[in-house]
Amino acid sequence: MTMKDKINNLSTEEYFASGHRACAGCAQSLAVRHVLKASGKNTIVANATGCLEVFSTPYPQTAWRIPWIHAAFETAASVASGVDKALVQQNKRDKINLLAFAGDGGTFDIGLQALSGAAERRHKFTFVCYDNGAYMNCLSLDSLIMTKDGLKRITDIQLGQEVYAFDQKTGDLALKRCTGIFDNGIKGVFELNTLHHTIKATSNHPFLVLKRDGRGKPHCFIWKELGHIKENDVVVVLKKTRPGKSFEFKPIKISKKGDYKVNKINNLTLPKKSSEDFMEFLGLYLGDGWIRPQKAETGFALPKNTKESNRLIYLYKRSFKQNLIQKDKNYIYIYSINLSRFIDSLGFGRGAKNKIIPDWVFTLTDSEKEAFITGLMSSDGYKIGNSNRYVSASYDLLRTLRLLLQTIGYQVGKIHQQTKKKGTFCVYRNLLEDSTYGYICFSKKRIADISKYPSQTKQRDFLADNEHFSTEKVTSIKFVKDEPTLDLRVEEEHNFVADGIVVHNTGVQRSGATPKYAETTTTPFGKKIHGKTEFRKNMPFIMASHGCYVATANAAFPHDLISKVKKALTKDSVSYIQVFVPCIPGWGIPSNLSIEIAKLAFKTNMYPMFEIEDGVVRITNRPSKASPIEEFLSPQGRFKHLTKEEIAELQANVDSEWNRLVKLDDAQIRIF
Amino acid sequence: MAKQVIEASQAVAEAVKLCSPSVIATYPITPQTHIVEHIADFVSNGDFDAEIIDTESEHSSMSACIGAQGTGVRTFTATASQGLALMHEMLFVASGMRLPIVMAVANRALSAPINIWNDHQDSISERDSGWIQLYVESSQEAFDTIIQAYKIAENKNVLLPVMVCLDGFTLSHVWEPVEIAKQSKVNSFLPKYNPIHAFLDPKKPITQGPVSYPDTYMHFKKMQHDAMKESIDIIKKVNSEFRGKFKRGYGDGLIELYRMNDADYALIGMGTLCSTARVVIDNLRKEGIKAGMIKVKTYRPFPSEAISKAAKGLKGIAVIDRDISTGYEGALYSDTRSALCDGKSEVGTISGFITGLGGRDITPQHIEKALKDMIFGKGTKEDWLF
Repeated sequence: MTMKDKINNLSTEEYFASGHRACAGCAQSLAVRHVLKASGKNTIVANATGCLEVFSTPYPQTAWRIPWIHAAFETAASVASGVDKALVQQNKRDKINLLAFAGDGGTFDIGLQALSGAAERRHKFTFVCYDNGAYMNCLSLDSLIMTKDGLKRITDIQLGQEVYAFDQKTGDLALKRCTGIFDNGIKGVFELNTLHHTIKATSNHPFLVLKRDGRGKPHCFIWKELGHIKENDVVVVLKKTRPGKSFEFKPIKISKKGDYKVNKINNLTLPKKSSEDFMEFLGLYLGDGWIRPQKAETGFALPKNTKESNRLIYLYKRSFKQNLIQKDKNYIYIYSINLSRFIDSLGFGRGAKNKIIPDWVFTLTDSEKEAFITGLMSSDGYKIGNSNRYVSASYDLLRTLRLLLQTIGYQVGKIHQQTKKKGTFCVYRNLLEDSTYGYICFSKKRIADISKYPSQTKQRDFLADNEHFSTEKVTSIKFVKDEPTLDLRVEEEHNFVADGIVVHNTGVQRSGATPKYAETTTTPFGKKIHGKTEFRKNMPFIMASHGCYVATANAAFPHDLISKVKKALTKDSVSYIQVFVPCIPGWGIPSNLSIEIAKLAFKTNMYPMFEIEDGVVRITNRPSKASPIEEFLSPQGRFKHLTKEEIAELQANVDSEWNRLVKLDDAQIRIF
Repeated sequence: MAKQVIEASQAVAEAVKLCSPSVIATYPITPQTHIVEHIADFVSNGDFDAEIIDTESEHSSMSACIGAQGTGVRTFTATASQGLALMHEMLFVASGMRLPIVMAVANRALSAPINIWNDHQDSISERDSGWIQLYVESSQEAFDTIIQAYKIAENKNVLLPVMVCLDGFTLSHVWEPVEIAKQSKVNSFLPKYNPIHAFLDPKKPITQGPVSYPDTYMHFKKMQHDAMKESIDIIKKVNSEFRGKFKRGYGDGLIELYRMNDADYALIGMGTLCSTARVVIDNLRKEGIKAGMIKVKTYRPFPSEAISKAAKGLKGIAVIDRDISTGYEGALYSDTRSALCDGKSEVGTISGFITGLGGRDITPQHIEKALKDMIFGKGTKEDWLF
């Protein structure tokens, strides 16, 4: 017996070619592959419009190695009716398996009439419903997210990481767990600017916008998609985070004299945690310093006997408990493999154009942050009146500095960028090549005295008395380009702070198969209504009452699915198979979890596996012990908002449906 | 062969039987129902070997035809009015997938207010759906046009669906003598259907109806448009071939001329009103007015060159529309005027008339008034003749 025969007599032929454009981890494409393996080479598929059709047949390519036809969204069953009768006329009906494929919309909703008609006419084909649902929206990949562990690129956010969010009830700054990260592919990205903030997002990404309700009525905040936001709309932005604490540095490998290739050691004491002096040292370093770890060199471009070099020597002594003597006229050199390695380990090792403020700086105390900025300012900054200006060739440094300043209550203008042509005289020399640099201006935010003119102040900034957030007018929105996008899902508040602006996490649209209480953008979670208010249609029973062979299956159990398809294909009328296929973007789950979630649906009895043959219900697979449905609900963002009572209601519904099935299975009587 | 006095609906059914489509999708709607009832009779009596699918809606009828034709067999369906409107979505799918489906439309007004009687609003509303539209005047023409329709649709340079439009009640329910052709003769005219691009066969799997991105979609539409234009020659060829075989023909297949040799004025119309017009024109001739008629048989593709040629040098034209592009003018009038703007026809006046909506009788008096208003300069672009 070969391996091939052992596994359900499965063909090793693939009829659904790889290389199609389904999402990573798409359960539907797996189910399609197995259904086709069950039906074999002599198969015709009539497909409804849906993501399956879109990702598998971008002209002139196709993933289908069997004859395949698609007409419209609601026509899988009616087109299959025509194919069925044409095959009869061609005397080929007995030789060919006919399948109709549709998603839950093409089955439960718009496709139901055609399916019911075809079942009543007793056409011979198997209708497979891939039961999933939903769509969504996102941010640009270089968005910077304010987290408990500092400022992170959206690409570096981990599941479970705590991100800053706006508590919509109290208006307070809250830390919430990130419960999902989604890759949303390449989309058109727009740039939204306020006076002090800039963010890139897709046109359907929601922002928190102030809605003025006119005289005498309270203002409120509403979620508005970027595409609907106009200039002068007022969005909620971050004013100030809570003060952090000193950062404890991770120990690095300390080299000793006599180690391989080590000859520059300079016995200095590395600090264990951050301090004001050390942060000011790092600020100066970030502006005027460099490291060359291969030469064990740390250098500063500070001429001898200037205010800055003297300050650096002072800070060095305070930080490393060692004296520093400047020998060179224009530069300060420190030769220590441990120091350069240490600075590199802190995230300060990048070249001039790629400099960035590392994420941990965002978690420091306010005074340490201030010290860091003082250091930076003594390198490449200067003051004009009350305003400070900082210049750098690194755009990322300016962007992160802008956000850092905003965490300690500075207001920062936009990043100005300039290019100086090659040959321009600049800083005592002619430029050797075109040089781009930018600068930002910032000043301490005036604290508005709200007690004096409450309504005027509030008119200017509705959140004037809020410690952490304020409101700003949108100054411009423009299209940037198509680029890769990501989105996060955040527990409870469903929002997070990206590039200093409060944004909403993803959305999903309600379908006829959406479970009760699932949050979608068309059935949002509100104070009054919590997600979808209705239970799903019982499609298997609807189809069974047409006299069809009916089976439910699950993408996580391919052998069961294959057996059920094989059985369905032996029937002389319409058979109905409903396959549970988790949808990665739609359900807000990581792409490696789709099969896990599918298994949980089975283990919790959320999606029981049964068949109805000749009107008699039979449970085909039972979990050894049913798990509570929280196990199925909790990994999914769309159920995040559920209250205990709602979970209990869902559990009661699952239990009662399951008990009904068990009773029907026990009775073994014909009910349809 | 002797003529039989039958209903036009039966004439259509007889023609369909002779063309032997394998799958017929049906859903009843007045005034089309008699057509599928006759076909159902043939099938249940064993006179006609076809599969009938009694669908649950016209939408599914057209979808079933798409499925069957896509599998590689000849199909037929018939509908009217609301049924055609419900099919709208699938009409574009059928023509876009280049499936040579033939459908009879028993023209009926569109709701609201609901009305079961004849006008052309239903099929005129689908003029941009990519279907060839042929309008007929008599039962015999309906019979002949169904047979021609399959030949036109299945031509490898066309491969487009064809709508044969006959006026509801005023033709569909009228009994007239019709000569029914012999099966052998039809077989020699219309060969067995041999699908060259649309078939579902596991031996040679193809994907039909894929998704097309912006880089290809427009090319598909251009090819469809080119095929529609190409069909002008094919329609003419099929008509003359038909005339050779059956000794009957309808003008050049695009338009049919009546007393146009020496005409100063012409009436342009479609469908059964042309029969009434023939009588009116004969009477006007007796009064000394040199009137004639250009009957438009093929409405899509629009035979602009043929009309321009036929109208060359006329002093005036009256276009009668049994439809209204609400807020503008009759559709046939718009198309005629644009066809005559080619700088070659040098026609004097062109007036448009809206009449016969929702089954309102078009009497000889209506047509005479239309012609005379136009001749005496009282016509405008949309005169309503109640």
